[in-house]
Amino acid sequence: MILATALTIAACPGPQNTGARVNDPATGSYSPPRLSDGAPDFRGIWQAQGTAYLNIEGHPAEVGVRASPSVVIDPADGKIPYRPDARRKQTQNYQSRLTTDPAINCFQAGVPRAILLPAPFQIFQSAGNLAIVYTDNHSYRIVLSPSIPHDDGIDFFMGDSRGHWEADALVIDVTDLGDQTWLDAAGNFHSDQLHVVERYTLLGPNTMKYEATMTDPKIYMRPWTLRVLLFRDRRSSARIVEDECIDGPDGVWHHISPFDPKAVLHHDYPAELASERNHP
Amino acid sequence: MGKLREAAIGFLFLTVLLSTPQAAIAQTPEESHKNKPSDLPRLADGHPNLQGLWHNESGYQAALKNLKGGGGLAVALGDFHSAGVPLPFPYWPITKQIQEYRDLHDPYHDPEAHCHLPGVPREIEQPSSLFPFRIIQDEKYVVILYEYTHDVRIIPEDGSSHPQHYWAWDGDSRGHWEGDTLVVDVTNFNGRTWLDMEANFVDENEHVVERYTMTSPDTITYAATVEDPSVFTKPWTMELELKRNPAKDQIVYYDCHEGERDVEHYPKSEGNAANPHD
Repeated sequence: MILATALTIAACPGPQNTGARVNDPATGSYSPPRLSDGAPDFRGIWQAQGTAYLNIEGHPAEVGVRASPSVVIDPADGKIPYRPDARRKQTQNYQSRLTTDPAINCFQAGVPRAILLPAPFQIFQSAGNLAIVYTDNHSYRIVLSPSIPHDDGIDFFMGDSRGHWEADALVIDVTDLGDQTWLDAAGNFHSDQLHVVERYTLLGPNTMKYEATMTDPKIYMRPWTLRVLLFRDRRSSARIVEDECIDGPDGVWHHISPFDPKAVLHHDYPAELASERNHP
Repeated sequence: MGKLREAAIGFLFLTVLLSTPQAAIAQTPEESHKNKPSDLPRLADGHPNLQGLWHNESGYQAALKNLKGGGGLAVALGDFHSAGVPLPFPYWPITKQIQEYRDLHDPYHDPEAHCHLPGVPREIEQPSSLFPFRIIQDEKYVVILYEYTHDVRIIPEDGSSHPQHYWAWDGDSRGHWEGDTLVVDVTNFNGRTWLDMEANFVDENEHVVERYTMTSPDTITYAATVEDPSVFTKPWTMELELKRNPAKDQIVYYDCHEGERDVEHYPKSEGNAANPHD
């Protein structure tokens, strides 16, 4: 129903390889373990490393930010190929980022920003089904079969995802992303015309290559591609924990860790009743 | 669902409430095998395949009409919303006063009105298929992806324990199978959630045992037993029926950002009523 079974089987060598963890001697490529339907097994808790979540492009060190080369692999100069007016807008976004970053309002991160964040996400997969659940803001994406049309005309923070297999790569086509999200914390942005094609490729049991190609003719001169590596959290105790924002007394929303003792509201019911009656 | 089935479930609730959870296990396979188990879709591990898109067609209010008292007796309610009949939640006197006061004066305290996660069992409230949810399941996990406010519950089935020093809107869920019934134990709540729009509430001592019993390929009986000794004098149980959505249906991602703007539009005296730190 979701990732069409016909597609998964057609693209894969077959269920005989279930559980295999060998390198293909012919190509040197990794042959991942597989589900019963032959699809590569992407299940697990994964996380990006590095500072692309702060700035996809190369950036010097700043307070709280390590210097890093760009994760843009195409174009080769590592720069997002903005149209001139869009680059000016990005520069403005950067200068006002501490107050204008949509993430400040606890908006969902969007794609590909959610993948770059320094917080784990978990891939759930069964024959014909795949969903990605992010720690950040309890966002999730259900990856449907391309045979189900995109919900064109309706935008979603996390877009509308359709997946298929190309050899052992999971390729997700994402549309309907709207214009309410940024790509990182440096004001890199897109319009409601953004179309993202993601490629997830297992390189080994605990490493995954993530590539995303962004096309948005209103903002970019040409499509461009970023690449980061994702790493598996191998701890048996690893969990995606609840991440919820709380609206503070100043009207500012902030994430609160469920491990923070302040997350729990202890009750003194007689005092609460008296307090509420005194402040109707 | 026939009367006999209801009576059987009522008996099961009685068993749950009067005995230890372990003792209740023995009742479950026999109970679920009445549902022609050969007709149910199953995964390779033999468990019923709960995967797919589901909704609560009966609605929460109907479910609350099926509220069972601590003695296992069904309590017949009218439409409490229109008739003003108070729910028979078994409050202590002080918590009853708080619920009544908030219902009358502080409806804006409802955490859902401020876009917070609804908690358990309120997440199942979604009225008449407006907000369905998708279940994905393998041998290690059941994950429930709710359309409403993009809530997610990840339910490990690995025999692991609830964490310590963890307090969440949706609590912490751990699942296991008792025959063909998925049983989910939920604790670690943060003491902030309401059960409905009538200010019925739970606190951080809430403990829920949910039971998902597939009764046909397209129906699941959902039951939740809620205990919270600092709010209620005794446990209570609700049940409802989940139905499978048509195959063409899919989740239309829902986002809730009304919160802080909403508060601005409240009367001044309500101010930042949403803020639990006030």
